[in-house]
Amino acid sequence: MEYRAKWMTAPAESRALGYGLSLLLIGMTFGISRAFLYFRLPLPFTSFALCAIAITFWYGGIRPGILAAALAAVLRFYFFEGDQPALSRLIYDLIFLVFAVLMTKATRARDELELRVTERTADLTDANESLKDEIAERRRTEEKLQQSEAYLAEAQKVSHTGSFGWHIVSGKIFWSDETFRIFELAPATQPTLELIFERIHPEDTAFVRELISTATQARKHFDFEHRLLMPNDSVKYLHIVAHAVDNSSGDLEYVGAVSDVTERVRADQEREMLRQAHADLARVSRVTTMGELTASLAHELNQPIAAAVTDATTCLSWLNREHPDTQEACEAASRMVTDSTRAAEIISRIRLMFTKGTPERTLVDINEVILEMIALLHNEITRNSVSIQTMLAEDILQIMGDRIQLQQVIMNLIVNSIEAMKEVDGRRELVIKSQGAEKQQITVSVSDTGVGLPQGPNRIFDAFFTTKLHGTGMGLRISRSIIESHGGHLWAADNLPRGASFCLTLPGVVQKRQ
Amino acid sequence: MVKQGEAKLVSIVDDDELMRNALLGLLKAVGLQARVFASAEEFLSSGFQHQTACLIADIRMPGMSGLELQAKLNNDHCSIPTIFITAHGGTKMRMEALRAGAAEFLTKPFDNAVLLQHVRAALGN
Repeated sequence: MEYRAKWMTAPAESRALGYGLSLLLIGMTFGISRAFLYFRLPLPFTSFALCAIAITFWYGGIRPGILAAALAAVLRFYFFEGDQPALSRLIYDLIFLVFAVLMTKATRARDELELRVTERTADLTDANESLKDEIAERRRTEEKLQQSEAYLAEAQKVSHTGSFGWHIVSGKIFWSDETFRIFELAPATQPTLELIFERIHPEDTAFVRELISTATQARKHFDFEHRLLMPNDSVKYLHIVAHAVDNSSGDLEYVGAVSDVTERVRADQEREMLRQAHADLARVSRVTTMGELTASLAHELNQPIAAAVTDATTCLSWLNREHPDTQEACEAASRMVTDSTRAAEIISRIRLMFTKGTPERTLVDINEVILEMIALLHNEITRNSVSIQTMLAEDILQIMGDRIQLQQVIMNLIVNSIEAMKEVDGRRELVIKSQGAEKQQITVSVSDTGVGLPQGPNRIFDAFFTTKLHGTGMGLRISRSIIESHGGHLWAADNLPRGASFCLTLPGVVQKRQ
Repeated sequence: MVKQGEAKLVSIVDDDELMRNALLGLLKAVGLQARVFASAEEFLSSGFQHQTACLIADIRMPGMSGLELQAKLNNDHCSIPTIFITAHGGTKMRMEALRAGAAEFLTKPFDNAVLLQHVRAALGN
């Protein structure tokens, strides 16, 4: 509308210019005609006037054009053809009028055309602008896309996870850059199933083939791990996750991710090896301690065997009478059963301590463990004239842990205490306490009246540190690592008035006894 | 009769319950009276040491040992013929015990016939 207004109501300046043009041109026509007249040239006013009118119309507009026509008519009448007969004047006037009317039309038509052109130009300009906007918008989107693609590629690189697409019918496979990197193939390569299977570890190909064929038949997602055998004989562990998608044409397509989990798998394997090594070391230490205790354990076993022999003799003597006393014989026989059971128990405890195997976690009653170890070490305790006192919690204290390892710790602590009291005159007192503290913490302490902790920096928990003549220096080190692997702590303190106290806390379950 | 029966009392001191009961059963089978004590201290405080004609004692026990018990009885002028039974048959310990007046020193598991023979000898049969 703006351009329309511009053309319909021309500004005052251009209007004045239009009228000025009309006066100027007609004036010039008049002057030139007068000059022609002066030099007696054929009178050209009419032709000049028509030209002037036409120019005025064209450049000055309709009204100045009409003014020019009127002026030309007046001038012609007064100066050039006043003497012409009325009819010929009328013809001239008519020609001027028709000319003016035609010019008006022509000018109007031109104006209209120009208006149209302007409108069209404006339309085109608008269209152009919006096109420009659109292009800019697209460029921005493209930049964003490129940026997000760059981020994605970087994220894939960092997480060692590539993506893939697999169109089942055509067999076409798409890989992201990271997938190419994982498979160590050039990005220009066209991935195929054959190429993938060439890379898969020979021991895994069968199960991978089976898994994929089952999954694709059932149109189900897959999620599995397998190995790759690279050309340099190195092995990679991959985790594949993909889900089935029906694409626009209804074909089955898989879209998924390939993660290189080699580092994780290796770390797991190392952790497992470490755990096994730890268990082996604990076992060796256990066996060593048991070896040191052989004489004591043999005596412990001798006791019920001696009783059994005596009870058997007694039983026979009741039976080998003229009038056998079966009731007495039965009593002696049942004592034999008790004796033998006790011997069997001791053997099974000893055998358990020699057991080889990976640690097993079960709920272990710590008081039971303490009593068992006291029973096993009973002879060692009395042999060294140690009096033992137990102050065990009445509640049931259970720990989720490896029974044998916990027994080992208690055994180590008791044996250490006995050792510490060997060289001491006076009372040899061993006190074992157990307590269920708040927050499900279980505390056990083993206190003695022995030589006490060595002076100086506390090195007793260091490996190969020993104050004993035949010690390996591993007992306390291993005990501490066992307790720590159960999420607890083991530490030593001075016992008052003399000796040492070994304390341990373990997370567990404290249950009131019914 | 009663006095004689009391005089022939055999006392058994052993910290191992199975062993105590086995010995008690054995002596009962041969018609001897016996009493059992879980420790030397328990025996000394029971007052039965004055009626005991024969003592069967373990050497290694928590608290007072068998040898210490024997020494204490000798000191108290209450010597009793004593048969030691132990799982640790060290020659040195055996000599020590016999020198201190032990009747016999047996290593577990021992021959019951030998034990009874020594018990009877101590009782003066």
